[in-house]
Amino acid sequence: MSPKRLEDMYDAVIVGAGAAGLSAALGLLRSPEITELKEQGVEPKILVVSKLQPLRSHTGSAEGGIAASLGNIESDDWHWHYYDTIKGGDWLVDQDAAKLLAEYAPETVINLERQGVAFSRTEDGHIAQRRFGGHTRDFGGEPVKRAAYAADRIGHQILHTLWQQCVAQGVEFAEEWYVTDLVLTDDGQQAAGIVALDTHSGKIQAIHARNVLIATGGAGRLFHTTSNSWDLTGDGMALALSAGLQLEDIEFVQFHPTGLAHTGILLSEAARAEGGILRNANGEAFMERYAPEHRDLAARDVVSRSIMAEIDAGRGVADPKDPNGPKDCVWLDMTGIDAERMAQVLPQVVETIEQYANLDPTKDLVPIKPTAHYTMGGLPITTDGEVYRWDGTHRTVVNGLFAAGECSCVSVHGANRLGGNSLLDACLFGTRAGHALAARIAGNPVDSPMGDETADDDLITAVDRAAEARNGELTTLLQGAPQSDTESDAESESNAGNTANAYQLMAKLGSIMEQALAVRCSADTIAAALEQLDTVIKPQADHLYAHDHTAAFNQEVTAIWEVRHLVALAQAVLMASDARHESRGSMRRLDFPERDDEHFLAHSMVAAAGSVTFKPVTITDYPPKKREY
Amino acid sequence: MAEANNTTVTLKVHRFTPRPERAERARGGSPFARKSSPFGSGSDSAARRRPRGKQWVQEYTIPARPEDTILDCLLAIKRTVDPTLAFRYSCGHGMCGSDAVAINGTPTLLCTASIRDWAKQPGALPQVDDEGFRHIDNGQDESSDSPADADGAYEATDSLGVIELAPLPGFPPQRDLIADIDPMLNQIRKLTPYLEADGVLATTAEGKVNAFEYLQHPEQLAKYETLSNCIACGVCEGSCPVFAGGDAFIGPAALIWASRFINDSRDTKAMERMDAIDTADGVAACQSVRACSRHCPRGIDVGEEMWQIVAKVRER
Repeated sequence: MSPKRLEDMYDAVIVGAGAAGLSAALGLLRSPEITELKEQGVEPKILVVSKLQPLRSHTGSAEGGIAASLGNIESDDWHWHYYDTIKGGDWLVDQDAAKLLAEYAPETVINLERQGVAFSRTEDGHIAQRRFGGHTRDFGGEPVKRAAYAADRIGHQILHTLWQQCVAQGVEFAEEWYVTDLVLTDDGQQAAGIVALDTHSGKIQAIHARNVLIATGGAGRLFHTTSNSWDLTGDGMALALSAGLQLEDIEFVQFHPTGLAHTGILLSEAARAEGGILRNANGEAFMERYAPEHRDLAARDVVSRSIMAEIDAGRGVADPKDPNGPKDCVWLDMTGIDAERMAQVLPQVVETIEQYANLDPTKDLVPIKPTAHYTMGGLPITTDGEVYRWDGTHRTVVNGLFAAGECSCVSVHGANRLGGNSLLDACLFGTRAGHALAARIAGNPVDSPMGDETADDDLITAVDRAAEARNGELTTLLQGAPQSDTESDAESESNAGNTANAYQLMAKLGSIMEQALAVRCSADTIAAALEQLDTVIKPQADHLYAHDHTAAFNQEVTAIWEVRHLVALAQAVLMASDARHESRGSMRRLDFPERDDEHFLAHSMVAAAGSVTFKPVTITDYPPKKREY
Repeated sequence: MAEANNTTVTLKVHRFTPRPERAERARGGSPFARKSSPFGSGSDSAARRRPRGKQWVQEYTIPARPEDTILDCLLAIKRTVDPTLAFRYSCGHGMCGSDAVAINGTPTLLCTASIRDWAKQPGALPQVDDEGFRHIDNGQDESSDSPADADGAYEATDSLGVIELAPLPGFPPQRDLIADIDPMLNQIRKLTPYLEADGVLATTAEGKVNAFEYLQHPEQLAKYETLSNCIACGVCEGSCPVFAGGDAFIGPAALIWASRFINDSRDTKAMERMDAIDTADGVAACQSVRACSRHCPRGIDVGEEMWQIVAKVRER
């Protein structure tokens, strides 16, 4: 679905159609401000632009649950959720934001249900809840059942429900449009719009907007082994960098402990919540040694590091599919789970294991290894979703620029996200950003006859200029190889002879980043990766071109821009990692093994040039403590 | 899989490159030609179903193991042989629903189809499929002409076989294996695919919410849970001979979505929903062929569900 005609000016353009983008669209359209505008006959001009058809968004792959202290199974309290989130994030969490997250979680989950999500149910008809790593009662005590679930398909249910509600609201989508530029006014103080490639027609489109919300998701494709879909190439983060903005805490990447060996496909944490146990080559349930209290359900960074420690100590196992390969996996033992219950509550996990490992989890041990899963950092935002700059002492909001979901960092996840908090973050802060957008739009709607259009010229000029430049680049990419190859027939079916291409380069970058940063890193591994980035990857990325001249559905053009986005982001991630001389949460520096609150209880802020500054953490209720599970 | 490293598979891909729009536009000069219905009918739709451009079949022979998925192989082709090959893909494990194509003529997902299950030895006899139908296909002749077999016996012993790939049937091809599935999504949208209940949303004050979830007992959930797992991939639609005929049938996917809400105890519009599908292009158009059930990646017995919803509509 594409708009028949673009508006000359939009009230808001939302980039991304996963849980965050769709929640923002709904939060905006259902707000009292917009309802009032509509009653006055003023229609808000909103467009949701997404790289994929919205139902394909990666939200749909989330399996385990969404956290909220509903207390449907056992007593719970949002203050406990609040505390767990801070502790899970190793105190690098802004407590004002985490407080909102925990306090408004029940409302968020209940409203998802009231919009249609097919949650699993208790016998008496309430939303069912299960245990999830790091969620406890009484501020770090016994595990508590806090994750609301829909078998192991919660993401699918939420994504489809939100899309359905957008259909009900008549939201307009531009589907399979790839955003190439985030445009600000010349002074950098105000969002002006975006430039996008309509992949169907192969045309560059200039989209003028008084407000832009970025909700493009994560950047798992920075790494070779990832649970993320092929589309998670950190686009929104890279767009922000090239617009001259900063990224916050981008060095924190969560490696989910249980990726199915050598596919990276996620096996939900629910597999362990339901009784699955990690075992090393000797059959030992090793988590008892690392986290005596919570064992296999300790926070994800703790479990991933423990797995890597076992592998480094020579107690890993080889993937049965590659018995002579490296012993870089451990076993997930699900044989203790009742077969009938397994089929009922873990159907997706069972199917993935059967389909992609050809194993039977009721009988066989399943090989797993940590897989890049979630970027805790991203575009720095206020609790109303406004993107801001940090100059070393102050925040300055970029007017009309918003972000939500995994690409953003309101900092509820700190240095490590708890399971069940990502969908919650996307839906809750997505909705809040939608409300904030509505308030801005209501002040000066495009459609209003009384509206003030004086500032629009600056926006239009800035976007059109960026679109023109991008269009020139597109033409160059489609011309194919410089000089030597061009005399060959323009209609050639494929230039199979030319080997360097974006897909190959993306794989190469993934291997470099994995070697440098996966689960653990040091100054040496970071320096080695930066060097390869400079000497190998960047020169190749600059010289990529499309091997076919037809612009329509030319996926290679998108891939070229994706890999360039990844390269820019990789640089920022490496620089931010290098600047943090401590180990905290998901970040394990082998050369700085201890947490250092004196110097680094602070958010990193990195810009495209690689300069890193630090910003204090907001601590209101819970001062930092040692983090043990 | 010690032997796996030496094996190859041959993918025969039906490719298509659309003609640049300029040439297309020169054709239609009438100012009245482009007034299209939002649901795609009339002359515009007919034009969309037959896009113009260049069509050919391309063969790729690449190293592969029997347990690899066809998506793995296509991605390897993009990386190492031909970056111009176009196909949709995203999550890679059967959840996003973007990679439905025809594999050996059968609609299914690229990421859940393994080489082991789909590769056919060229010339293997008898060429009769599961239902006992013989394919009218001269694959044998074509493959002996192809350069892939030029090395003769050596190639043959290592080859896992041939797999034929084409865009999802029943939808207009856009480029290579990419088809335009908007007709399906438009049919789904037409049937108010969202929960209609009291519409009240909860708000929070001082950590307490002012409304609770709708109660729904596990047995009520069981009535529609499977239906709610549909990922709108289009496999059932591509398999349906009635849907493939054009606008005569709104298609199994739209009916599954309608049934999902009709069977949801929270929804208050079941009667209206049943009225909406009790039409000539709705339940009446289903001919109970049940081809739609065969490859549903979510395990929905689409044909049986069709039967159930038809019965329910009749009984109301």
